[in-house]
Amino acid sequence: MNSMQNKIIAMAQLVSFLAMWIFVIGIVIWIINLISISVELHDAPGVSLGISLIAIPVFVTLACILTYAYFGFKKKDNSNLKNSSEG
Amino acid sequence: MPKKVQYENELDAPLFRPIYETGKGFYITVGILLLIILWALIMYITQVWLGLGVTGMNQTITWGFYIVNFVFFIGISHAGTLISAILRLSRAEWRRPITRMAEVITAIVLAIGGLHPILDLGRPDRVLNIFTSGRLQSPLLWDVTSITAYFTASTVYLYLPMIPDIAKLRDKGGKLTWFYSFLSWGWQGTEHQKKVLNRAISILMIMVIPIAISVHTVISYIFSMTLQPGWHSTIFGPYFVVGAIFSGIAALIILMIVSRKVFHLEDYLKKIHFQYLGTLLLIMSLLWFYFTFSEFLTGIFGSEPHEMEIIHYKFTGTYALFFWGMLLCNFIIPVIILSFKKFKTITGILIASIVVVIGMWLERLNIVVPSLANPRMELPIGIYIPSTVEWALFLGGIAVFILGFVLFSKFFPIISIWEIEEGRKEGIKEVEERVHSYLPGKETVSE
Amino acid sequence: MPKWAMVIDLDKCTGCGDCIAACKLENNIAIVSPEEADDGRVMFWMDMVTIYEGEYPNIRVKRFPKPCFHCDNPPCTPVCPVNATYKNEEGLIGQIYHRCIGCRYCMVACPYTAKVFNWYEPEWPDEFKSCFNPDVSPRMKGVVEKCSFCAHRLLKVKEDADSEDREIMDNEYLPACSESCPTNAIDFGDLENKESRVYNLSRSSRAFRELEGLGTEPKVIYLLKRE
Repeated sequence: MNSMQNKIIAMAQLVSFLAMWIFVIGIVIWIINLISISVELHDAPGVSLGISLIAIPVFVTLACILTYAYFGFKKKDNSNLKNSSEG
Repeated sequence: MPKKVQYENELDAPLFRPIYETGKGFYITVGILLLIILWALIMYITQVWLGLGVTGMNQTITWGFYIVNFVFFIGISHAGTLISAILRLSRAEWRRPITRMAEVITAIVLAIGGLHPILDLGRPDRVLNIFTSGRLQSPLLWDVTSITAYFTASTVYLYLPMIPDIAKLRDKGGKLTWFYSFLSWGWQGTEHQKKVLNRAISILMIMVIPIAISVHTVISYIFSMTLQPGWHSTIFGPYFVVGAIFSGIAALIILMIVSRKVFHLEDYLKKIHFQYLGTLLLIMSLLWFYFTFSEFLTGIFGSEPHEMEIIHYKFTGTYALFFWGMLLCNFIIPVIILSFKKFKTITGILIASIVVVIGMWLERLNIVVPSLANPRMELPIGIYIPSTVEWALFLGGIAVFILGFVLFSKFFPIISIWEIEEGRKEGIKEVEERVHSYLPGKETVSE
Repeated sequence: MPKWAMVIDLDKCTGCGDCIAACKLENNIAIVSPEEADDGRVMFWMDMVTIYEGEYPNIRVKRFPKPCFHCDNPPCTPVCPVNATYKNEEGLIGQIYHRCIGCRYCMVACPYTAKVFNWYEPEWPDEFKSCFNPDVSPRMKGVVEKCSFCAHRLLKVKEDADSEDREIMDNEYLPACSESCPTNAIDFGDLENKESRVYNLSRSSRAFRELEGLGTEPKVIYLLKRE
């Protein structure tokens, strides 16, 4: 595989990674929008807030785990010799 | 001349074979499934075009097959991630060939189940109203939130442990190297990467369990938050979770046995795996019966008139066949098969699992329809006969599930190769050390 | 703030069904085919509930009109995922047809089965089409609808009252069923107005509400038949 292909693949990986974050941030924005609607209509805003306090951390944590793995794998570790390609 | 991928000299050649060898059976299966899905799609388009009148639903029974199947499919998703998460957490070594299949089931069936409420909508074109004017106070939106969370979590929980295997496929060469390279995130198997992966999986396997439990609890809340007799019960949360895990283990067993036959995995999915899963299935059957018994004993003892109407409808009325059929399928047959060693063969476990899946579908039917068919205020009892469209979408859903699994097995190993290798290399030693630490005497090694 | 309520006197009600006809005409409610009616898809905002009691030859028939009860503690509004059904300040439970996504959760949550659904695109026979009420928008397929206490009439009455700078008088705003009933069995008015008929009737010894134990606080009050 030549380095041109490698570059394209690296770019595609970055794009998909960013898309994942856009998805998660989109969900957070959606939930915040719903909270604001419920406050405006005085429609049990406490419930909306309560649900968001659980839901938003869950999504953000999942995104952070993926981020940790993504950058963790990329990190060049010079102190350890590369194992056999068995993985 | 494309280079043929060499895999036969691998120790785990049978796990690579389905990816590199494609028989006639694959094309026939995919062809049939695509036809069924096409039929379901056409039926759905007629429903969107003409309206929900093409279904069998009517006044008072305004929820039917779509909601039944919604709960059913989401229920099956449970054992997937739940089993693999709990088995990983408890460090059960026998989980190794099972976790990949379990996680795949969860991801696919969650997507199908999550789609069903949209299939049920009278105005699917307005589904985006959930974003512009939604109400988080509605149990339906709790559902949307928790299913999205579970789907995201289980997809991540499926994907991350797949990375070492994808890297193997990438290194083997072949036409799809670019695809595997894209997905494997530069995995080279270094110590640092292994540490990162293990840490990520450890956090995920703990996170996934409460999310999974919340999903089916929240689905049960759709029913229990209304005032309808037969629904407004505090037991629904745990009842649904138990039922979900029950049906999920059964679906997992069926899929495992079929895959074992089709892909010749007898060496990996051995009798002992099915024995253990069969025991789990037996436990869930007893637990399910305990909850069902509590539910009906409470209702009958209280004798609240509307509640009794529904109970009579189920015990002796129109739904007697489905109700007692459910008890036969969920309790009597599985307990008989799974309690006796003579019956607890792989064939026996397969029969028990198929029967449980049917029984759990009947249980969803018994929850949704009778309460709606018997309205309050002495209004006439309703009749629900599902139409062709509803059957088509049901079969279509199952076909999508099977197709998803078949396609997955074509591109990725359905048994986690690196975890099997890890089991060979480190598993035995680790277990030996652990058992030593349980027994009296000096601690020979630290954890 | 007025609180609109209805009182139905079961002693005066003969079960003639005039209220149902008036309601269907007033609100442009779809008329389904006989086959659909057999399948249980009739659309009644005001329903005439018929209950047969006893064995032949001592059969008793109970007939009573059942509109939406516009509960003060409605079970249908908390469950709507998109805010398409809501309770306004005057106690009316509204339905926003253009927002409804047709999930039918509110129909399933209502213990009185007061809501109906458009299973197909609504249709009317040709004769009906010449007498559509221009004040009421017709609904589209796939949405939930229900009795609105003829809220369009309230809007008109409010306009008149505002332009004449006065309050709404008792019995000025009446839904179609109340107006059409030949025996005046259906009364309608403001519960907050201590002088209104509805307020006084609601305190009668014969007054009861359906399924009171559920805590929905319905605002349609029935008066028991005199024995």
